[in-house]
Amino acid sequence: MSQDLGDVHLRLDPDDVGIQDADSLLKAIRTDVRYHEAVHGCLNCGVCSGSCPSHRFFDYSPRVVVQTVLSGDAEAVKDMMDEYIWACAQCYTCAMRCPLQNSPGGLVMIMREVAVWRGMEAVHRLLKPYGRVLLKVLSLGNQLTPDMIQPDFFPDWGPKIPWSSTDLAIKRKAIPVYTLQVTTSAWRVSPETSYELYTIYEETGVFKLIEQIDPNLYEVVADMVEEVRDTVDSAQ
Amino acid sequence: MATELRTTGWDFVTTKVDKRAIQRQNPDDPREHLRELEARGEVKIIPITEENQPIEVETLLGRTKLIPTTKLWHHKSCGQCGNIPGYPTSIIWLMNRLGLEYLDETHQTSCTAWNYHGSGTSNLVALASVAVRNWHRAYETGYFPLIHCGTSFGNYKEIRNLLVEHKELRDEVRRIMAKVGRELVIPQEIVHYSEWLHVLRKRVAALKVYDASQVVTTVHPACHVWKMIPDDVIYDREIYGGERPAPTTAILLELGAKVRDYSTWYDCCGFGFRHILTEREFSRSFSLERKIKVMVEEAQSDVAITQDTGCTTTLDKNQWIGKAHGYHYDLPVMADVQFAALLAGADPYKVVQLQWHTAGWENLLDKIGIDWRASKKRYEAYLEELKNGAVPEQLYLAPND
Ligand code: SF4
Ligand code: SF4
Repeated sequence: MSQDLGDVHLRLDPDDVGIQDADSLLKAIRTDVRYHEAVHGCLNCGVCSGSCPSHRFFDYSPRVVVQTVLSGDAEAVKDMMDEYIWACAQCYTCAMRCPLQNSPGGLVMIMREVAVWRGMEAVHRLLKPYGRVLLKVLSLGNQLTPDMIQPDFFPDWGPKIPWSSTDLAIKRKAIPVYTLQVTTSAWRVSPETSYELYTIYEETGVFKLIEQIDPNLYEVVADMVEEVRDTVDSAQ
Repeated sequence: MATELRTTGWDFVTTKVDKRAIQRQNPDDPREHLRELEARGEVKIIPITEENQPIEVETLLGRTKLIPTTKLWHHKSCGQCGNIPGYPTSIIWLMNRLGLEYLDETHQTSCTAWNYHGSGTSNLVALASVAVRNWHRAYETGYFPLIHCGTSFGNYKEIRNLLVEHKELRDEVRRIMAKVGRELVIPQEIVHYSEWLHVLRKRVAALKVYDASQVVTTVHPACHVWKMIPDDVIYDREIYGGERPAPTTAILLELGAKVRDYSTWYDCCGFGFRHILTEREFSRSFSLERKIKVMVEEAQSDVAITQDTGCTTTLDKNQWIGKAHGYHYDLPVMADVQFAALLAGADPYKVVQLQWHTAGWENLLDKIGIDWRASKKRYEAYLEELKNGAVPEQLYLAPND
């Protein structure tokens, strides 16, 4: 169930995946509870773009994002959600510098969330390389784990990376902090903690969203969830 | 660095740096509203008490912030623990040296904000619930949460502010917390480890056993630490005349190192949340072109000092590939707390765990006079012992959780 508060919403409904007409996407952006904190108008001054790292390296400008959303041109906004806004590095330099205290980076985040929660085509392509992070964050609540640093994935990180993945269990044991002496999570996470996290994901629609946009990933996560829940339930 | 003291540092920042002078009114202080909410029984505040031996500092707008120094709950960072293990280990090692009390346990999740910023596969209610669940866990142990990661720190400040502003969000988080047997609690302050290090800098510097006076450092202030909710960030008139955040620069100066300015100090590192995984050519180009190159060529830096997770990784890991384009930099990258631990005599391998860093740090340690070769030998022997079944050494004995 979406949290519809009349003019604003706290989150989108995973059952709305597939509703992708441009007007409804723009409405979902503008009714996010954070929207009016992210956008207070726009002077079109370009201060945000002037210090934007992504503007320097991509065909991307936070000024254009803000202007387009404010213009009300729903089709143009929808176009941006496909690829354009994903160039943002989420550094919030723009928010720090905007004379109107806008947060173009915050607006981009709202737009990304809408793109994902409406299951836009681009999202499948964009999330593909994210599978391992998603698996960890959904099953453990950790986002990066020692066993993710593999030379196959990071050949450009140089010749020391193979060292990091060889004899990993022993090298992790050699870190003198008990909670860190593991390889498949960043630290030992108690099953009770994961159990609580799953309740949060269920209650906020996150699990349902993943089931809709990536059924294969969801299947793997669901198995892990069941296992942890069985462990905790039987211990109680 | 600039020695000229600008007595009107805050004015300079708000007029020249973030250009907010156009907005004449300062933002509300969410902590005041938090107290009102507590008085109405809407939330419980996790208090900073005498037991936490707090130290008061000034933030961007001249407001005060209380930084607890002991009885702390380690809110660990997945990127640090997973990829830069010497980061949390150095924090714990320094806390031991200072005789401080803390709790490091397994009942914590990540803030999940890296994933959110990168993929959008979460939402405000989920982020707020994850934050409050972690806060509540700290609350029930009686320890005050110390946030290791800059993104968690920025995200938690944002969540705190949104919880204070929106009753609907509080109601929803309270409903979800009830399902996991918890309550809506919010810390009196959201505190980053770099702030803890900052307020204890004199005590940390007193532990120093090596001379760093010939070491030229350059500081990379982390975006999510100081650009998200900037009014909550510590500024000090003694540090760049109050024109830049004080943490990290101040501890380096206290340790006796040189801190040299460079023109792109303001830029991000190129991490980008998604980019480090999926748009790597951006992360590589940005970190090399806008940070490493400038730190080396403008400042002749011996070491880049960081205060956050993704930046340490991005700046460190992206140097080697630069050789393909004629960038032959090999600038060591480490967190302020790792640098402080090294100077205080922490073992470079066993404690500071520099072996996981990819840019060469050996020359830096030679310059300081730290015998890393002996440390390496000890470490390699220790790995063999562990392979043969030795019980791992611990800096801290975790309670049975
Ligand atoms: S948050 Fe995004 S739009 Fe804003 S400055 Fe950073 S990269 Fe640019
Ligand atoms: S800095 Fe602010 S006002 Fe200027 S173009 Fe960007 S969003 Fe608009």
